[in-house]
Amino acid sequence: MKQANNNEVDLLLRSLATRGANESPLPGGSTSGSENPTLFAHLDADELNSYSEGVLPAAARARYTEHLADCESCRRIVIGLTQAAGATRHYEVLDERRESGFWHKFAAFFSAPVLRYGVPALALSAVIAISMIALRQQRRSEFVAQNQPTSSPATSSEQTELRSTAESPATQQRAIEPKANADTSSLKRDLQADKNALDQPPTASPGASLTKEAAAKDSAKSGQAGGVVALSPSFAPEPPPLPRAQPTPGEADKLDTTSNEQTAEREDQARQREPMKDQPINATAPQDASKTGTLTLSTRRIQGLGVESTTESRSGGKDKKESRDEVETRNVSGRHFRHQGNAWIDTGYDPSRGTINVARGSEQFRSLVADEPGIRAIAERLGGEIIVVWKGKAYRIH
Amino acid sequence: MRQRADQIEKLFAEGASHVLARALDNHSLTDESLIPRIRAAVDKYILKDNQQASAQEITDFINKLQADDLCLIVACEQGNQEAWSDLVERFSATVRSAARSASANEDGAEDLAQSIWAELYGLRIRKDGKPAGKLSYYSGRGSLAGWLRAVVAQLAVDQHRKQFRLVQTEEDADLDRIIQHSQTEDTWSGHGGVLNPEVEISQKLAAAQVQKALAQSIKQLSGEDRLLVKLYYFDGLRLHEAGAVLGVHEATASRRLTRIHAELRQQVEKILIETEGWTKPETKRAFSDIALHFEAGIEPLLATDGALRKNENEIAG
Repeated sequence: MKQANNNEVDLLLRSLATRGANESPLPGGSTSGSENPTLFAHLDADELNSYSEGVLPAAARARYTEHLADCESCRRIVIGLTQAAGATRHYEVLDERRESGFWHKFAAFFSAPVLRYGVPALALSAVIAISMIALRQQRRSEFVAQNQPTSSPATSSEQTELRSTAESPATQQRAIEPKANADTSSLKRDLQADKNALDQPPTASPGASLTKEAAAKDSAKSGQAGGVVALSPSFAPEPPPLPRAQPTPGEADKLDTTSNEQTAEREDQARQREPMKDQPINATAPQDASKTGTLTLSTRRIQGLGVESTTESRSGGKDKKESRDEVETRNVSGRHFRHQGNAWIDTGYDPSRGTINVARGSEQFRSLVADEPGIRAIAERLGGEIIVVWKGKAYRIH
Repeated sequence: MRQRADQIEKLFAEGASHVLARALDNHSLTDESLIPRIRAAVDKYILKDNQQASAQEITDFINKLQADDLCLIVACEQGNQEAWSDLVERFSATVRSAARSASANEDGAEDLAQSIWAELYGLRIRKDGKPAGKLSYYSGRGSLAGWLRAVVAQLAVDQHRKQFRLVQTEEDADLDRIIQHSQTEDTWSGHGGVLNPEVEISQKLAAAQVQKALAQSIKQLSGEDRLLVKLYYFDGLRLHEAGAVLGVHEATASRRLTRIHAELRQQVEKILIETEGWTKPETKRAFSDIALHFEAGIEPLLATDGALRKNENEIAG
């Protein structure tokens, strides 16, 4: 509506200009000053030139503007002068551009038009860059926040464990737990199952033994066991002194011998653990060949948690260990054994449990193999010392 | 009063020294030779509008004078031949260019250019024995080249007026016929339609009243606005050209023009209602009808307008 109104006035003005070119409806519209000298004193050349060049003081300019609005003659001269001055300015600008050298270009780089767009663009780029750096640092700090609580308790627990060979399973479990806390929920469930199995007071009763064996099997089957418990077979706490059934006097000597051997074995294991103290994760490296797969899984999980450096340190020897494990594992009578030292150890064996020592050729051995032909086959096929888990009991045949 | 006069004279003396100091070639002029010129310029551009102009304002004005050009012109006025040679050498091209712009042909331009130097030097002799030329009107405020162009343009206009009074050319007669035709033909109702004579008379009367009200409204505009309307509608300049004359950007000129349209419409409606006794709906209808009729006949009108301008240019040339 407003635009339409303006258009109507515009058309009216055009019409008036066409008619006014000859009718002179406005004072001085088309008359020259010479025709009406009393009303119009024309601007002199200096005034016309000063007006066209825009160098007049404001008051004088306003006065001349009034005159120019009514005097067509002076207005035409001013128009001509302005157009001539505009052309001159244009050529001057062109000459200046031709003369522009390196410093002119350099100065133009900091000119207002460039800065008007350049500075905001630069600021935006800086903000983006700072944001990206901040985000990266935040991620790193997240990794650190996960690593710090996991490494220190583990290390301290290892040291504590090394000082004392007899340590409660719960303590060791607590030492391992920080690592597991950062894992997935399945890992936690596995941990809980294993913990429950460990927390159960060992009993000499066959039922209890069966329960423990089942828990050990669960641990072996579950990936978590490799991730936490199976990763640290050497960390496995020594079982508290189990309340045993009162041995017969004949068996007492054998048990003493067995206990001495166990002590020696624990010392060997402690020695093996010694070089692993520096690296907590390495300390939990499996000695059991059957847990290689578990190790791989746990390694992946740990990688997912961001423990990349330790994984990297292990990755070098991982392939060698796997190839060696392939050679040193064997399946006999449905049981899987790995060769460790001079002994073949059932992968289902939980070191925290006690074993029944049976010497080859002994009466006990003969009666055992008579009752359990599977054990006979194992004893015949695997030479040397064997630890086999059979019907919930761990037998150490040597 | 006396103290202020002395203060201003002191400013003139200091300003003259400053101008001479700024000039690359002062042509051996003295302060006394420059003071009258500076005084005239300050009176003309400062004190005429503001008698109580501050010393700072006067000093700023003097400091912005074109020192080299002013010294050259004053030296020429004093009869310094070396300065004259310098003036002719430096500004011959400018004068010829201005003469070509103001003349229709090359011969006329050459005649005009030659006459300029005589006008500048002055054919008459003043009381003090010096030639009464146009050089004494140069204040030094604007550039000497621009001033010379203005002198050439004014001289061309004067020459044209003299010729116009003596002989009305055949082209002028043709122009008059075109103008007469455009005046007699009512463009607002002349779109070829056959109207009721009563309605036609009524429309013509309404158009005349609107035109009159519009002319009055234009008179009431400020000087700047009126000049813009004249430059754009009456002189046929484009917006950027009109803006250049006014010293504003094209966009500013456009905004001003839009505002002027609104103001003019309001003023015209007011005049029609208060003076002619129109009602508001009548004014709106009149605007619409006039615009409609004008749009229908705008092409022949513009064609006529173009022919008019062409003839005017030829005459001016």
